[in-house]
Amino acid sequence: MDKTLHTMWSRCAREYSALPAVRWLVKKDVQERTYGELCAVTDSIKKGLAAEGFSKAHIALIGTSSVEWIEAYMAVVTTNNAAVPLDCGLPAHDIIELIQRADIEGVFIDAKFSALIESIKANCPKVRKIWLLSEEKCENTETIADLTEAGADTDMPLPPEENDICMIVYTSGTTGKSKGVMLTQSNLYSNIEAILFHIPPGRVFMSVLPVHHAFCLVMDWLNGFWMGGIICINDSFMHMVRNMSIFNPHVMLMVPMMLETIYKRMKALGDNVPPEMLRKKIFGQKLEHIFTGGAHLEPFYIEEFAKYGIKIFEGYGMSECSPVISSNRPHDCKPGSIGRPLPNVEVKIADDGEILVRGTSVMQGYYKMENETDEAMRGGWLHTGDKGYMDEDGFLFINGRVKNLIILSNGENISPEEIENKLALNDLIGEIVVTGDENLLTARIYPDQETAQGMTDEEIHTSLQKILDDYNHDQPTYKQLSRLVIRKNPFAKSSTRKILRSEVMKDVPLV
Amino acid sequence: MEEKFKVIAAEYCELDADKITNDMSFRDDLGMSSLDVMTFLGDLEDEFDVEFDLADDDKKLARISTVGGAIELLKEYMD
Repeated sequence: MDKTLHTMWSRCAREYSALPAVRWLVKKDVQERTYGELCAVTDSIKKGLAAEGFSKAHIALIGTSSVEWIEAYMAVVTTNNAAVPLDCGLPAHDIIELIQRADIEGVFIDAKFSALIESIKANCPKVRKIWLLSEEKCENTETIADLTEAGADTDMPLPPEENDICMIVYTSGTTGKSKGVMLTQSNLYSNIEAILFHIPPGRVFMSVLPVHHAFCLVMDWLNGFWMGGIICINDSFMHMVRNMSIFNPHVMLMVPMMLETIYKRMKALGDNVPPEMLRKKIFGQKLEHIFTGGAHLEPFYIEEFAKYGIKIFEGYGMSECSPVISSNRPHDCKPGSIGRPLPNVEVKIADDGEILVRGTSVMQGYYKMENETDEAMRGGWLHTGDKGYMDEDGFLFINGRVKNLIILSNGENISPEEIENKLALNDLIGEIVVTGDENLLTARIYPDQETAQGMTDEEIHTSLQKILDDYNHDQPTYKQLSRLVIRKNPFAKSSTRKILRSEVMKDVPLV
Repeated sequence: MEEKFKVIAAEYCELDADKITNDMSFRDDLGMSSLDVMTFLGDLEDEFDVEFDLADDDKKLARISTVGGAIELLKEYMD
């Protein structure tokens, strides 16, 4: 049996046909689609893609989580094409740049972002087709309805092979350019197969993370489908707590920031409310398991949630590993650790403490970035950039980072260099270092002395703040710089004139 | 309305409602994360029976930085 998502999806359609697969809200009404219905739509999209000549092509998906997004995604990844899920919160010019760099030929786009369509047509000559993620026809733009109509008389395309690139996921790059992680059919299949925990079909998952993240796509969607789960779409972070009581999930995948917010809601209701009542009010009737990853979680939360019968399992991964490397699981966990490595990966700790990984879910490399690939894959091992150790029971722990990536508690990875390189183009900025403090990004700037000559301190502050405001204007919230620190002295440097990041918080007052 | 607003905001920070002033920043002064602010806005929807239009206002909502700014937005939706 081939280890492909096509194999998995065919089995789901066969075994779970009558079971609900996806639930979502329209206003406050719950809508539903079964595995059989979902599969019928993905089959039509697949035939449409074949009719339009898409084979071994890169197809982008731009939008927030929706049933149409997931149908288009499942159609792409069960053919020999590669899905490229893009962060719809990025500025338009960044999305265009990724479409160009990823050699995208087709784009599925949510109507909310249709303003991008003209720009894609004007700047991305390789894009042959753009479809709105809608099952209704639309006057000026093609939609999924047109695509399925085009494929009505076409044969089903051949299934993908295990080594076909199935997905390219863009992840923060330390050189200022995000990197396209290439994952094959068997990379993803083997990761899902290794993560599995045994729950019966019909269990409810509520998906709250951004759908373009590998963590959400694999753990909520592909893993959920594999087990015959019902995946419910959270329409907005604003409604997460409310939606838990509507959908009554058994399982949720979260980043630590979400657990911190929910904890505040629990505390606000007061200590006098009986645990069982509070649990139902906050989590719905049935929540049992929360899987968390993307950033470190204080074990305090694991203990606190356990008081209400909610078990939290922390895991660890990165897009480069499809993405899970290790995870605590219902019958195999140690709070504070990030679990044991999955059975399909081998973990080694290097002499400098860096966690190295190899195995069947490790990526094929970064798309068209050979140097970065070689750097990450030295000696046949993926270098994670994280430092850690394994205890006597085989549980993995993280205790630092080798690279400069800032990990926020919402799981977003921020490359400080990426932001620094952009801002350093301003004449008033002599030196800049971006740091992450208490989950907020801070720009630490030493003004260019020549440009700043004749300016008062207040004028310098106003001008630098304006530069940050302009930068923030079209960035997603997690990439915005919330604080500005103006230095009186240059940063301390190494002998090769590199800024010593370990010393950036220190500044000497001017004498 | 402002009073009720601040009682709900106080659930997300370690400050009493009467100590919250309109010039305070959700992040810097009240220590709320971006997700806290979003969830808080969801609470406001329930409490004041309004519906923030995410399709148009997603970025606007995400940028609400001060208590006063959020009160102004809420008033717009209540009118």
